[in-house]
Formats: sequence, C-alpha cells, structure tokens
Amino acid sequence: MPHITTGPQAATQLHAKTNTRASWCLELELALACTGYDLTNSVFSPDGRNFQVEYAVKAVENGGTSIGIRCKDGVVLAVEKVISSKLLKPGANKRIATIDRHMGAVSSGLVPDGRHFVSRARDEAASWRSVYKTPITVKDLASRMGGYLQAYTLYSSVRPFGITAIVGGWDSELELPVDGQVGEGPSIGAGGKVEGKTYGGPGLYMIEPSGMYWGYYGAATGKGRQTAKAELEKLDLAAGNLSLEDGVKEAARIIYVAHADNKDKEFELEMTWISRLDGPTKGKHQEVPKELLEEAERLAKKHLEGDDDEETKEDDKPAEGDQMEE
Amino acid sequence: MFRNNYDNDSVTFSPQGRIFQVEYASEAVKQGSVVVGIVSKTHAVLVAVKRNAEELSSYQKKIIAIDEHLGLSLAGLASDARVLSNFMKQQSLSSRLTYGRAIPVSRLVTSIGDRAQTNTQHYGKRPYGVGLLVAGVDESGPHLFEFQPSGMTQEMVACAIGARSQMARTYLERNLEKFADCGKEKLIAHGLRALKESLAQDKELTVENCSVGVVGVRGEGMTAIEGFKLFDGQDVQQWLSLVTEGAEEGEGEGEGMEVDS
Amino acid sequence: MNHLPQAWGRPRDDVYGPYDSSYLQNNGPNQHTQQPIVTGTSVIALKFKDGVVIAADNLASYGSLARFTNVKRLRKFADTSVVGFGGDVSDMQYLDRLLNSLDIDEAYSSAGDTLNAHNLHTYLSKVLYKRRSDFNPLWNQLLVAGLDGEDMPFLASADLLGTTFSSPSLATGFGAHLAQPILRKVAPDEETAAKLSKEDAVQSVKECMKVLFYRDARSLDKYSIAVITKEGIDLKEDEKLEQQSWAFADKIRGYGTQVN
Repeated sequence: MPHITTGPQAATQLHAKTNTRASWCLELELALACTGYDLTNSVFSPDGRNFQVEYAVKAVENGGTSIGIRCKDGVVLAVEKVISSKLLKPGANKRIATIDRHMGAVSSGLVPDGRHFVSRARDEAASWRSVYKTPITVKDLASRMGGYLQAYTLYSSVRPFGITAIVGGWDSELELPVDGQVGEGPSIGAGGKVEGKTYGGPGLYMIEPSGMYWGYYGAATGKGRQTAKAELEKLDLAAGNLSLEDGVKEAARIIYVAHADNKDKEFELEMTWISRLDGPTKGKHQEVPKELLEEAERLAKKHLEGDDDEETKEDDKPAEGDQMEE
Repeated sequence: MFRNNYDNDSVTFSPQGRIFQVEYASEAVKQGSVVVGIVSKTHAVLVAVKRNAEELSSYQKKIIAIDEHLGLSLAGLASDARVLSNFMKQQSLSSRLTYGRAIPVSRLVTSIGDRAQTNTQHYGKRPYGVGLLVAGVDESGPHLFEFQPSGMTQEMVACAIGARSQMARTYLERNLEKFADCGKEKLIAHGLRALKESLAQDKELTVENCSVGVVGVRGEGMTAIEGFKLFDGQDVQQWLSLVTEGAEEGEGEGEGMEVDS
Repeated sequence: MNHLPQAWGRPRDDVYGPYDSSYLQNNGPNQHTQQPIVTGTSVIALKFKDGVVIAADNLASYGSLARFTNVKRLRKFADTSVVGFGGDVSDMQYLDRLLNSLDIDEAYSSAGDTLNAHNLHTYLSKVLYKRRSDFNPLWNQLLVAGLDGEDMPFLASADLLGTTFSSPSLATGFGAHLAQPILRKVAPDEETAAKLSKEDAVQSVKECMKVLFYRDARSLDKYSIAVITKEGIDLKEDEKLEQQSWAFADKIRGYGTQVN
C-alpha cells in the first residue's frame, strides 16, 4: 500500500487507485482524510490541516466531562467519572491531580495521557521553584504545558496527547518571602516594593491537544462540553461576582446537567477547589470537603428533578419559535 | 481490499480517536490464563490458574512477590510482566532504603502506569502485552489495583483478567457486598470459586495448576502486617479443600447452588 | 597594557607589581566546602510522654559576629515533624528547599501516607552521607523530632558525616556539652521520658536554652521552640529568654579586661 505521496496530484491519483478504501472513507464522511495525510503525525494535508491532532481531539470528545470555574475568591475543578465497572472501588481512582500546592489539573480523554500531563506539569512546577525560588503561576504553567503538548504535534515519532486539560489555581496575593530568606529587605522603596500594588488571584486555563491554550472564566471539555458550556455562559462569570462556595454548587449542578445526556451510565462526581489565602483552603489545592460535596450533589439532583418539569414547559414554546424562524 | 491503516503503530490515532495498537495489546491480556484478585477490610488475595506448555513441562509462574507488603499476578506476556515486576522490586527497595518505609501501593502502581503510557506515545516502542493485578497493604490498609497495557491503572474491590475472565467477573459482581467483611479463608474461597467459573469445561483446579497469594493487616491498627505469602504446589491444597464440593455444601449458605444457576 | 580577560579589573602589573594569580590555577585537587561560614549554634530536644520538644535560638553568626538575629532554625515538615538545624546556614537553606520539594511531592496524593519523622530522618541521613561520600558535605548537624510509624515520640540526630544517633534527649554543638547533661538528668532513659509531662519537658528545655545563652558566646536570647504531639505542631518562633540572672558573671575572671 503506497503511503508516501508527493503533492496534491499524487494524492488524487492515490485516491483514484484505492477506490474501495475511498468509498469506505466517504461512508465515514472523512474523504479528506483518505489521502494518506492522516496517517502520520506532524504532516500537513494539502489544505493545511494536521489530521492526527484532529483525531486526538476525537479521543477527548469521548471522555467524561471536566469543568473548571474561576470564581472571585478561588477556583473549582470538577469531573464526571463514568463508572465502567461495578468492581471499581468507590471514591478511589482520583482524576483531579495536584500539580503544586496551589494548583490542580483535570483532563478529559485518554486517562493515561492525563497522568503523563500531570507528571510533566509537576516537573515543570518543581523546576520553576528551583530556578526562581517562587511558586509557578497558573499562567506560566499553562504556557509551559502548552509548549509541551505542541511539541507532541511536531514529530512523526510521537503522537499528540489524547486529552484536553483544565488547569486551575490561586496565585498568592501576598508578596511571598524570598526563599530561605535570612532577615528582611527594605519594607518599601529600593527593595522594589510598590505600595498598594496587588498580586496574584485565581487562574484557570484549558490546554488542547494541539498545544493551544486560553484563559477562561469557565472551562468545559469532554463529552458533555456543549451542555456544560451553555450552563457556564448563563453564570455571567466575567462579572466576577460568583463566590467560591456557590461555584462549587454550580460546578456540581453543571456536571449533573451535562451527564443527563448520558443517563444510562452511572457516574461519580469528583471536585476540588483552591481558595484565596484567607479562604477555606488557604490557597491550597484540596478536595472539596465531604459535607459540602454532598450538599452540592443534593442541590444538583434537586435542580435536575425540578428542571425536568420546567424544561418540558420551556422547551415547548421556544421549539415552536425556532421552527417558525426556519 | 480494505485494510485498517491506523493499526500499525502506537503513535497513530484512528479517525475516531482510538489507538488500535494499544487495543490489540489488551487482546494479549485475554490470551493469558485467568487471574482473580479480591480485597477485604483486612486482606488482599490473588488466585491464578497456571498453564504448562506441554504435559512434561513446568507451569508458568502467575504470581510474583514484589516486597514484604505486596505482590502481583499477571495475565498475558509473562516476560513483559517480569520487566515490570523487576522495576517494581527496584522501586519498593529504593523506598525502603531512602525512607525506611514500605512504598504505598498506589504510588508503585502509578509508576508502572506512567511507564506503560510512554510506550503508547512514542514510535519504536510497543505497549506492554500484559495485564496485572497488584495486591498489597500500606498505611491506608489493603489494596487491589488493576494495570492495563494502555497504562490505565484502577483501584478495584475485586477483579479478574485473562481468558474467559468475564465469567469470574460476573461471580465477583454477584458477591461484591460479601467481600469487605471476609477473613483470609473466606476471601480465598471466593477467589477460587470465581476462578472455577472461568475454567474450561474439562479443566479443574489442582495443586499443580493453581496459585494463591495473600497479604493482609493484623489486628486493629494497620501497623502490623501479614507479609505477602505465595502458595504453590501442595501448599495450595489447604485452600483448594475450602471449595471442594463437600466443603461448599457444608457451608450451608447455598452458594454452590447460586453459582450453578 | 594587558587587555586579556584575566587581567580585567585587576591592579596593573606596571604599577602594583606582578599579580598573584595562583588562585586562578585549577590544577591540583578539587575543593569543596572546607568549613562552615554563617553558622547556627546548638539545637536541643527532649522526648516526653506524648511528644517531643525541640528548641534553637534565632541567631546566625558570621564567625564571632552576630550577623543575623531572626533566623528560623526550626523547620516544619508536612505538619508532622520538625527539623532543627545547627551548622552552616546556607546548607540549611539548601536542605530546607529539598524538604520543601519533598513535602510537595508527598502531598500529591490525598491518601494521607505522608512521611513520618522516622522516614524523614532516614532520608536526611542518606542525603548527608551521600554528600560526605562525595567529599562535598552539607555542614550541618540536625535533630529530627516528631512521631514514628506507631505514633510514638521520635527523636534522632544526623550530621555532616552521615552519622545517626538516637536518644530520649539530644543536643548539637555547644549544647552537647552544656545542655545534654541537664537533659539527661531529666530523662536518663526512654522509660523516664515516657513518663515526663509536656510542661516539665518544655520547662527543662527552656532552662537549657538559658544555660546555653549564659555560656555560649555564639548564642542569642531570642529563640524558637516547638512541641510536636499527635495533635500537631505548636511552633513559636519569637520567644525571649525569661528571668535571666547574670549575678554569676561578676565572679568570672581570667579573660577579657579582667585578667585576674
């Protein structure tokens, strides 16, 4: 089977020759992919796409929903863990990982790739600390990991990551002490300190298989991302009014709503949060306490039950409206 | 003729986002003879069926002790399991040397998971062709983990992998609630019964073809441990006799009936 | 004029005579740390019935100069153990960073399987022994205080040679001579230490800190003290020696301005 072809003409020839294969591809609505340009990572197709990266995104789209919410006083991460077997130990098998004391990450897609991501992110955070003697900011970590994932799209000897990762954290709002400091510098002035200057705050970034990343007020990925995004948009997060505790409840609700499209499978909700230094987690990335998690789940279920009735009412009318417009 | 072009190496995604080489590696696990693992509040057990290449050859080892506090059983390519188990032995020894502590089971399992993941992302490597069940105890009690060629590791209450293991899993699912409060003997008995479910019609569990591994905690505190012990040959007889026809009826729980139905 | 890089910033040969560049030569053996530079003095610790008390003053000396007077020489680890550092302060800072990254690694899992004081001591002694075997020692003497795997009080020392030692009471530096005898009187063996109350233990350690301040010229009356029990760590870093009495100083003769 000829794999290596040069130029679009050759591709057309190949297309003609391997007729059976082409028809199979058409069935899959992937005619473009059937030119052989999708078999190797790091190769552009004639119209400038890297198919292997697009296929990696497909792996993400089949994974359990992950979300992150950037609240005014912290960040919440949540994931829908679909229970693949009754034999799994309940409550074990954590999917949200700690990257550094103040930062966590969750991903949708291939779980082992997610672990690879976490392990690299921890190395980056540790190396940042050893070089700069200060914790890495969420922004810088996202940048480093974006670079790392991008590198896995550059070579035919590797494949892209089959995950989209959400990284959330709290950058300390205090001026941190110099690492291992002996004595103190000037309180103001020549020491470079500026009165009234504020530091840090919540950070939330989402990194895709291509290596692209953006900062978010609310991020969602995985199977239920569309529903989750729609819900996140309703929260008006850009206004910066949502408190962390409400954010936890919203996150639980959104995961439950997003799961409703996938009702036949049972799932477990896992949530972590990072608050400001004077908040409940003291700037650290921790699991949401059991009581709060249960309360959030209770509210989420209650909302879902109430929602079912509401939605049928609401759905009826706008649906008609939509039809009219078309 | 159509041929799947996306399954030649582990660095190619299919249009659906699958990696066929990794999925094929999982098939290698299903070629291996069945192994079962169960965990209770106090113990973790592994039971396995061994196979011999021919009548006059010895049986392939299915359970490997890693350290005082943990061991594993394998299904699939035994040589791959040996590579992984050697690595695990090094890791747990290094933990004992540098910290004077038994390595937490989850950490060890994660480390082989990470290793296996690397093999699924780089050209020129192949995924491991073996599945493992790792049983051990640490400060947080007894644990059972499943390891897959994809690098996926999951903590389980009970698990079975290998040929015809679906039957064993069905048994385990049906008896799931009973495991937590089982002592060592009952847990092994459950393991052996699950194993029997997966046996081919003409096969039977014997002292030759059966292995049992046990590890647990002693007493209330999790501090004193009952080290990982491997039973082979005549030593297995004591456990096999727990599940011989007569003994099962003697238990009077009607479990034998349930299993048959 | 010589414009070669090695002459940059140096006195001119024609004005000041030939420059002694012998230190620039790199033949001969590699040299690592030969002596500590900025140093902390004694660390003392004592086990009691349900924990350990540990103390060290807040001074870092540069030779005989009291260079830094607010140095925290007791370091917490994972909210379960305390390490007290004597000896070189920059090496202490290096070890502190090492412990910090170890602490972060340990906190990745939420399973609560953090290293206890015993594990921590084993680790530190391996680090110290490795460095001395490389002929590049970390110039410290450490006391590790906390609880062991059975939640029993744990106290042990490790030093720049990789030597380890354990006892119901321990003291480093000058404290080994001045405080250790007092502490041994309070807790001569494990059995006695296991009966000692927290108040008595803290009192004895504070008394020792006072004795050390009286007789150790490289010490300070500001100190840190930590009590480690099952309930956690109570670390105070800004303590001041109380009820000092210098009446005895009058009678000391034989050095300084009073030669007889």
